Amino acid sequence: MTTPIASSQDAKASHHERNSVHLPAPTPWPMLLALGFALVFAALVTSQGLAYLGLAIAVYAAIGWFRQVLPEEHVIHIEVETEVVAIQPSNRTVTRIDVDETHRAQLPLKTFTWISGVKGGIAGGIAMVIPAELYGLIRFHSLWYVVNLLGGAGVGDWTNPTMEQLTHFRLSAFITANIIQGVVTLLVGVLYGAMLPLWPKRPVLLGGIVAPVLWTGLLYGALNIVNPYLRGKIDWWSFAASQVLFGVVAGYTVSRLGDLKSLAQVPLAVRLGVESPGLEGGERDRGQRR
Amino acid sequence: MATPTIPIPDHVEGAFDETQPPKFRGTYLEKVHGWVVTVDHKKIGLMYISYALIFLLVAGAEALAIRVQLARPENTAISPLVYNRIFTMHGTTMVFLVGMPILFGFGNYLIPLMIGARDMAFPRLNAFSFWISAFAGILLYYSFIGGLGLSGTGTAPDVGWFAYAPLTEKPFSPGHTVDYWAVSLLANGIGSIGTAINIIATIFSMRCKGMTLFRMPLLPWVYLTMSGLVLVAIGPLTAAQVMLLVDRYLGGHFFDTQMGGSSILWAHFFWIFGHPEVYILVLPAFAFANEIIPVFSRKAIFGYPAMVAATVGIGFISLGVWAHHMFTIGMTSFGNAFFTLSTMLVSIPTGIKTFNWLATLWGGKIRFTTAMLFSVGFLFQWLIAGLTGIMLSVSAWDWQLHNSYFVVAHFHYVLVGGILFMIFAAIYYWFPKMTGRMLNERLGKWHFWLMLVGFHLTFDLMHVPGVLGMPRQIYTYQADRGWTVWNEFISLGGFIQGAAVLVLVYNMVHSYFRGAVAGPDPWDGWTLEWSTASPPPDYNFAVEPVVASRRPLWDLKHPEDPDSAVE
Repeated sequence: MTTPIASSQDAKASHHERNSVHLPAPTPWPMLLALGFALVFAALVTSQGLAYLGLAIAVYAAIGWFRQVLPEEHVIHIEVETEVVAIQPSNRTVTRIDVDETHRAQLPLKTFTWISGVKGGIAGGIAMVIPAELYGLIRFHSLWYVVNLLGGAGVGDWTNPTMEQLTHFRLSAFITANIIQGVVTLLVGVLYGAMLPLWPKRPVLLGGIVAPVLWTGLLYGALNIVNPYLRGKIDWWSFAASQVLFGVVAGYTVSRLGDLKSLAQVPLAVRLGVESPGLEGGERDRGQRR
Repeated sequence: MATPTIPIPDHVEGAFDETQPPKFRGTYLEKVHGWVVTVDHKKIGLMYISYALIFLLVAGAEALAIRVQLARPENTAISPLVYNRIFTMHGTTMVFLVGMPILFGFGNYLIPLMIGARDMAFPRLNAFSFWISAFAGILLYYSFIGGLGLSGTGTAPDVGWFAYAPLTEKPFSPGHTVDYWAVSLLANGIGSIGTAINIIATIFSMRCKGMTLFRMPLLPWVYLTMSGLVLVAIGPLTAAQVMLLVDRYLGGHFFDTQMGGSSILWAHFFWIFGHPEVYILVLPAFAFANEIIPVFSRKAIFGYPAMVAATVGIGFISLGVWAHHMFTIGMTSFGNAFFTLSTMLVSIPTGIKTFNWLATLWGGKIRFTTAMLFSVGFLFQWLIAGLTGIMLSVSAWDWQLHNSYFVVAHFHYVLVGGILFMIFAAIYYWFPKMTGRMLNERLGKWHFWLMLVGFHLTFDLMHVPGVLGMPRQIYTYQADRGWTVWNEFISLGGFIQGAAVLVLVYNMVHSYFRGAVAGPDPWDGWTLEWSTASPPPDYNFAVEPVVASRRPLWDLKHPEDPDSAVE
């Protein structure tokens, strides 16, 4: 129930204080100020007279607004009738799975160190250059062909280069190619370090062959749309060989540097992260088996 | 104060009360007066939502007019000039008069309730922000009468919702049509900034006892980010509109290409606003999903800290992607590469959110209420929208498809399949809180399935004529272009969506008067708005709540396993 508008000073002395809430009093001034501004805006596209009207309303409303909050903010007192609701506990009780303290840990409990991923990326990145450069040397008698193909993507003023340009050294393409090669191989190496423990049996097969081949196919299809000229310049067999070599070398390096038990040895449900006590528990399960 | 029937943990006592709102028994005029002078965040929120829903019907009717025109080749159902006005007003209305107001409306209504406050930080500014936005919308639509001046025949803006220069310059757009667009959106921007300031101040200064930032529900977090974006993004648009008015009336040449100005400057200004605007609209949709999916999965949201980080991350990244709208305007290869990569970067925090929603669903005891159905539809459609977005972020791909119906399909997947679906979900979820009545679930299911079928018929198929070369904003086309059958089905889908919206309108009106009584907590929710009456009293909470976890109502309902014991 509301009471007549009063200042907050009055409110403090009110006998309603204990059982009432003070809220800002309703006021027309914000609406009128908005109307005044809107009329001024409307005047720009209709009639000058509206601007005067809008300005007058805005000034009047602004004064009213100030008087609403100064020297004391106008408030209303609303009587509060409080009744705590009888809260019913939910019918659905919470059941905890009885497993050891590691049950919420997402497998793998351990992973390779990031540095092993970096080393794998470097090793793979160096290895993959070999088939690519072999192709360039045998087919075009040039070290720079594949470098220019890779680096040309980042050289803005180099559109549809000739074969002559592609087979000769170009500093900007060389720098760009090294940046692309370095960054991408390092990132993919780290990705391998993070992901290989998650993959099921034969991680090097998946990471070293299946993933690179899929990636090559994706790139083959996408370049047809994104840059058909570039696609035509790439020898896709040697490209695929480079990718596979990267995958195998990086995967092998990462696996060798790390010393983790393969997750392939645990049940599928556990690999998927499903809480499955009894299938592969923590120390308690293993202790019981022993 | 009655004695509770179950023991309430000390640290959450007072978080749950029910107070019957005072019955207002005035005359009709007194009721109207009460709404006009109100500074109550709930009433202002409802006015925002009602205002937006009215414009949703208007903009929907405009969309159907567009679909009627495009349903057949060489159609002349409406004239080319009217067609230009209608697609301009449709886009402008949906973004500025539907999307932003309805989302501000939900924010206004929910944020104080969720953080245990009695009102927004600046209640009068709140009322002012609503009214200036409302008058701006009315002014924009007044252009249909007064566009060429009071003595003219009148016409609305016809330059597209992005109003590219130099089309908007005086020689190409005489009369006042463009001025109405600029002036009304300028006024609308004042309201948006006012509300954004209010939301930020409310969240930082009005949270109840115990509600640290990391105990705050995700919805206020998302609105905090969204409000920050509004503050940053509206400025450039306002500046551009002022520059445009200077060009048109004071002899300026900012965008006058024949006098040394730059039309690309307009494109930059507009899209510096325009792309964050997409996230301003979609972030609240995420906010609704964050609240609805856990409640109907009966699980706490998965990865709360990651969700917060992803939200804020999206806010920052979205400020650096605007020029992907300008690939075909022509930029350097560095510019193309930068905006391609930055656009792709958005997919990372967005992907985190999607995975977290899926992880919340995973293993949950899912209840497929209408709100949940819309949320699941949103998840799937948002994924598709994101994937076509990544396709378009590749500049070379964008060169082929820009300004085609593929792009139209993509952003309607975002705006309708993502945002509008979640707005519908929010309506079903919070209507009981706002009115005290449940929406009819059977009608809700009709609404959902009609909307789903209509949506996919329209916007799945719309990708195809885009790939086949159908340009955006085209008035009509020849029969031999191979676009006819696609457009027929697209238009059919549009009308099915129109029918779905009418079902919602009927459901809302019918349920408001005859719906089942909701009670304070019809969904067995966990956040503070469900701890008070439906609709809440003017003061929201008779006793200021004290919370000890992210789910204060869970703590009360499950004293054997409160969140507060583990957070």
